[in-house]
Amino acid sequence: MRSQINIGPGARAAGLRVQSKLQQAGKLPSLLCALAICSSAFISSNAVADALVLMNVTVHTGSGPVITNGYVMIENGKIKAVGPGNEKPPIDEAPKLDLKGLHLYPGMVALDTALGLSEIGAVRSTRDETEVGDFIPDVESWIAVNPSSEIIPVVRANGIAYIEPAPQGAMVPGQSSVVALDGWTTEEMVFKKQAALHVVWPEMELDLTPKDKFSGDKSKWKSVEDQAKERDKKIRTLQDFFSEARAYAKAKAADKSATTLQFIPAWEAMIPYVNGELPVMIHANELRQITHSIKWAQTNDLKAVIVGGRDAVLATNELVAAKMAVVYENVYTPRYRDSEAYDIHFKTPSLLQKAGIKIAISMGPETFDGPLTKNLPYQAAQAIAFGLPEEEALKSITLYPAQLMGVGDKIGSIEAGKEATFFTMNGSVFDMRAQVKHMWIAGKELSLENRHTRLYEKYKGRPKAK
Amino acid sequence: MKNPGQRLFVFLFAIAFSFSAFADELLPPGFRPVPPGVHALVGGKVFVKPGEVIESATIIIRDGFIEKVGKDISPPADARIWDMKGMTLYAGFIDPYLKIGTVGEVTKEAKKQVDLTSGRFFGLPGGEIDPGNTGAGAGVGLIDPQRRISEIYAPDFKNLEKMRDLGFTAANIVPDKGILRGSSAFVQLSDVDPNRAMLKPNVAQHVVFDNEGRKDMAYPESLMGIISVVRQTFFDAQHYATARDFYNKNGGKRPEFNPALQALQLAISKSVPVVFEPDSALMVDRAARVARELHVDFQIVSSGQEWRRPDLAKETGASFIVPLDFPELPKLPADDDWEQISLDQLRAWDWAPENAAVLRQQGLEVALTTHGLEDKTKFRKNIKGAVDRGLSEQDALAALTTIPAKLCGVEQLLGTLEPGKLANLTIVDGKGYFDPEAKVREVWIDGRNYHGDVEPAKKDKKKDDEKTDKEKAEKEKKETEKKEALKKRLAKSPLEGRGVITNPAGIYIYGATVWTSVSNEKPATLSILISDGKIQKIGSFKADAGPKTLTIDARGQHITPGLIDAHSHSAILHDVNEGTLPSSAMVRIGDVVNSETDNLYEELAGGLTTANLLHGSANPIGGQNQVIKLRDGASPEGLKFAEAPQGIKFALGENVKQSNWGEKYKTRFPQTRMGVKTFIRNRFIAAQQYLAGWKNYSKNGGSPPARDLELEAIGEILEGKRWIHSHSYRADEILMLLRLMQDFKVQIATFQHVLEGYKVADELAAGNVGGSTFADWWAYKFEVYDAIPYNGSLMRDRGVLVSFNSDSHDLARHLNFEAAKAVKFGGTPEEEALKFVTINPAKQLRIDKHVGSLEVGKDADFVIWSKSPLDSSTVCLQTWIDGKKYFDRDLDAQRTEAMVKERAAILEKAKKILGADGGGDTKDPEVKKFFRRSLEHQYDGVNRHCLDDEE
Repeated sequence: MRSQINIGPGARAAGLRVQSKLQQAGKLPSLLCALAICSSAFISSNAVADALVLMNVTVHTGSGPVITNGYVMIENGKIKAVGPGNEKPPIDEAPKLDLKGLHLYPGMVALDTALGLSEIGAVRSTRDETEVGDFIPDVESWIAVNPSSEIIPVVRANGIAYIEPAPQGAMVPGQSSVVALDGWTTEEMVFKKQAALHVVWPEMELDLTPKDKFSGDKSKWKSVEDQAKERDKKIRTLQDFFSEARAYAKAKAADKSATTLQFIPAWEAMIPYVNGELPVMIHANELRQITHSIKWAQTNDLKAVIVGGRDAVLATNELVAAKMAVVYENVYTPRYRDSEAYDIHFKTPSLLQKAGIKIAISMGPETFDGPLTKNLPYQAAQAIAFGLPEEEALKSITLYPAQLMGVGDKIGSIEAGKEATFFTMNGSVFDMRAQVKHMWIAGKELSLENRHTRLYEKYKGRPKAK
Repeated sequence: MKNPGQRLFVFLFAIAFSFSAFADELLPPGFRPVPPGVHALVGGKVFVKPGEVIESATIIIRDGFIEKVGKDISPPADARIWDMKGMTLYAGFIDPYLKIGTVGEVTKEAKKQVDLTSGRFFGLPGGEIDPGNTGAGAGVGLIDPQRRISEIYAPDFKNLEKMRDLGFTAANIVPDKGILRGSSAFVQLSDVDPNRAMLKPNVAQHVVFDNEGRKDMAYPESLMGIISVVRQTFFDAQHYATARDFYNKNGGKRPEFNPALQALQLAISKSVPVVFEPDSALMVDRAARVARELHVDFQIVSSGQEWRRPDLAKETGASFIVPLDFPELPKLPADDDWEQISLDQLRAWDWAPENAAVLRQQGLEVALTTHGLEDKTKFRKNIKGAVDRGLSEQDALAALTTIPAKLCGVEQLLGTLEPGKLANLTIVDGKGYFDPEAKVREVWIDGRNYHGDVEPAKKDKKKDDEKTDKEKAEKEKKETEKKEALKKRLAKSPLEGRGVITNPAGIYIYGATVWTSVSNEKPATLSILISDGKIQKIGSFKADAGPKTLTIDARGQHITPGLIDAHSHSAILHDVNEGTLPSSAMVRIGDVVNSETDNLYEELAGGLTTANLLHGSANPIGGQNQVIKLRDGASPEGLKFAEAPQGIKFALGENVKQSNWGEKYKTRFPQTRMGVKTFIRNRFIAAQQYLAGWKNYSKNGGSPPARDLELEAIGEILEGKRWIHSHSYRADEILMLLRLMQDFKVQIATFQHVLEGYKVADELAAGNVGGSTFADWWAYKFEVYDAIPYNGSLMRDRGVLVSFNSDSHDLARHLNFEAAKAVKFGGTPEEEALKFVTINPAKQLRIDKHVGSLEVGKDADFVIWSKSPLDSSTVCLQTWIDGKKYFDRDLDAQRTEAMVKERAAILEKAKKILGADGGGDTKDPEVKKFFRRSLEHQYDGVNRHCLDDEE
């Protein structure tokens, strides 16, 4: 067996082939464990620094002005102090690391992702992002994050420190968590278990394809009127669900000792959300979805955020009036309307920001994009090219997403008291040519090695073929 | 035997006359007696033919023929007199394109036996799924040229009456299913048995670019496949004749009998025309080109959308059969649902009534048809709409009489009211046919009178009475508004605001940092001089530009060669894959280039100037590619990169072995990587034998071999005339194809994606094969788990010619950023990284003599950027191709504003009309047409990857 998990030429494929046979025989767990230990070993090989001062570095705090030639002091996993280079750190005798010429950025926060829940999109057995059922708020996403994912170290190596793995599906697919991209176990990785409730607003767009042009199973075709009825019904069902949840919360509040009220896990899960304590992430891309969502969230006093937001710019006034934030996932979505500008989605973050709407930029929940989450800063970069101020672009992938998840006081910027989570680069985080040089999560410096670098090194070293 | 069709026609004509000379057979008692055959129609306004009117004229009809027409004719004594005062008389209307299903039952054809042993190669695609056509015939489903309407025409008189109520007296009945559908028959729309009604049994062969009714996994699934099948079948028919001829003279191997190929002989010998129904504006162009290639006479059934590209319609020079099935406005569930109606849908609605006039303006012959209208009573209203929008009444009349008569080859019998013609007449109340209020009183067919529609009792008259005067006035006002609104078009031509922005005689650019992509040159401040679409001078110089030269001060900006995408599906009509057969080497992307998609403009806006349009990756041997320049606004042919050599898509791995297609797809060969090799090897050996067969024939004569478009294309690879671009992921399969092709002495141009290319970089370099990869896509399926973003750099380091491709409309808008990633991963120098999207793909596509770098003599394809092209916050400012500007960011806001305004204006017009009639039921056939998305814009903004489009 040893040779099969050895990472030598050709052995990997052989090992995985054996896996599928073992899987049939029910022996999969042991082998997976073996692989997991292998890879975790270098994820967490570095010890937490009790105290360390990063010197001579340009600090992009993400909350205040950029400090050129500044310092950041780490103590017990937290940021002890941040300041200009001519200021003395609070504990001067702490070990120092000279980062001359480098830039320090807060660890990025990737919202609404399949990363962690899905490994290989086309391989069903590696996917855990979509459950069965329309109303399952008691589902929590952190449970299924695979600490041994080969994807995670690749994404982390470009400065992504926290993710919000999101449950997917219809209506109310569950709650998302905030997960740090470091830890031996899921428990060590999870930063906030119940961070947000996800609501997928019913499809508002009518399929106008006539039956004779309908591709696929014609029995699934529905008339426009039937679709409109179904659409209304779905919205009512969703609203009913929240009304019932609110009734349960009210009953619960009245019946503090819970003597008569039956404990129902789904309704329990809904309490902080119907009470407006935790955020409800409403997935809405299309204009009608957005406008309906805003109205509904307002009348129900929800702490709501629009996720997706493709057409958000068309609902600017409503969003401003409702003071709602947008997790924008469509920077690189080709335009949808043939009468829109070619750059409509490139400039949407800038247009929303100028209107005073808080923007977080995300790659979106497609399993295809999970492994590409490392490119998150480049989506923000494109928004910069089309008008978003650079400091706002940085916040849209650090502080703002942290705030939306209710952890803005702990992560998302380089400020005293926050988690010591940041990374250095030999250029701008928005520059595709620049490289990450160091990475810390909660004060722990992490290896930047990953599946990509290992394969790179290995094949770079292949002797010239005869 | 020079022209059998014509002889047949003369023969029929003679029969008709001979009958007229004698009295009809005396019928036995019990039958209604045959009425007297002499009539005088007196006092009507007679349109003898379009443009020739006689007021108060008399027409004498004898035994089914027109005997006399004129002003001062006294009716003969034996004539029954018909008072036609106040009536308008036309030659009986002819519908040149009436589908068999709309007038009668289609006889059920006998079930054919399945014979899977025939060995005919249409791919053997999993016998359980697709047996193809069964019985004798073409072997491909939907290819039924042997079907003859004359043998199955069985009219339902009720339906004929509906046609007569519209004024039609005769029609060409056309087959209604398949791609090659069979031959049409011309009939009189009279209530007689089919033998008597039939005027001409073989009018035309019918081709429709439509594969409806296709079985799952049956060839052809794609539009390019449909065109290939048409082409191949006609070539087969040509060969069929010569092979049988040879056999009859010389003996030898007995050729097969094939009724399908036999049936096509009439079209091949030009005895009958081929009528194409292409169903989209661009396919009108393709149909004409295919017809010319096949040397057949042709006519075209209008797609209703020639307004998109009147230039292409004009070029066909064809006669058009034009349906009047205009889209109608729907009643949508909610007002905000109008949000999802695109500008293009609104345009299609607004343009529709004008299409016939547009075709006439191109100098084309137009015949009108009721085809396409499920509710044919809308024909009158719509012909008025067409007349209101520019079709002259004279042209409209010709389109109902003389032109269809000519197109159907019955102009000696029908079409005008001249003596000697059959007595087919359409008689309309006072104002004539083009006033929808004027009733069709009666029609005459073969000298027999059919009464028109009896005026129906007005059902809602009572209701109207109950309404107050005010309500009535209101309604009338809205009705008038609606009518007025309909008369005026607000939609613009889609060709407006698109295409070449400026085309200066000369261009002088100075001050920019220029990335030449020439060997070792680093970005530097250079001047460029351009004329005749070529770069004339580049270097450190100051030019004294003349007045005709456009001077561009590009200080602070960057200039690169136009970007080149070696793997694109952005401008392909219909399916990207002909994924039914394991080899579809016969299908051509060049047949389905989409010049109308908005994707072109959006990619120009990202600096892209050249793209390699590739077939998908659903089968080991895919279709033929087409390299285009993004000359937005040009025709499909105009987009083609004339100097680019031909290529073909191959594919390996999970897609071609159907790994991710679902449980149902497990029977097509190949299902393993072993099978992929076996299959490709088999086809190459088959192609070698095919070439040898032709060589032998040209040397020694004998029975001529058949042209096989699949093996011809593979043969071209063997002859070095067609380059392979092979989709691939794993190192083992890359090596497999490399070695297999070396065995056949074939040089592969590129491996596409080649995500494990870094593992076999030395072998690729030694094999002189290019690698066209993704910058960083990975882990979306198992075979790309080992994909790494260092791939480009690693391959380059080992001497492989590397490019980065998009395979997605999104990435094609920012390929320069993909290139930037090679700097980060593996440290490729910046100017070398840019080459991944300029000169390197040009070399891979063998077009580097013309494009890919900024050098004297090369095409002036370049991009002006706000910053370094590799800087994430750079913006493409201008894109130039052949020294012409196609994109200018400064003008874009204006362009968008115009579109927004246009959409708002058409929508306002639509709402006005909806105010009057409320909109139609969304199940109404004409309302459904409003929802139709044109083929040309169906995939706008859709990221079509070859990897997920196979199903």
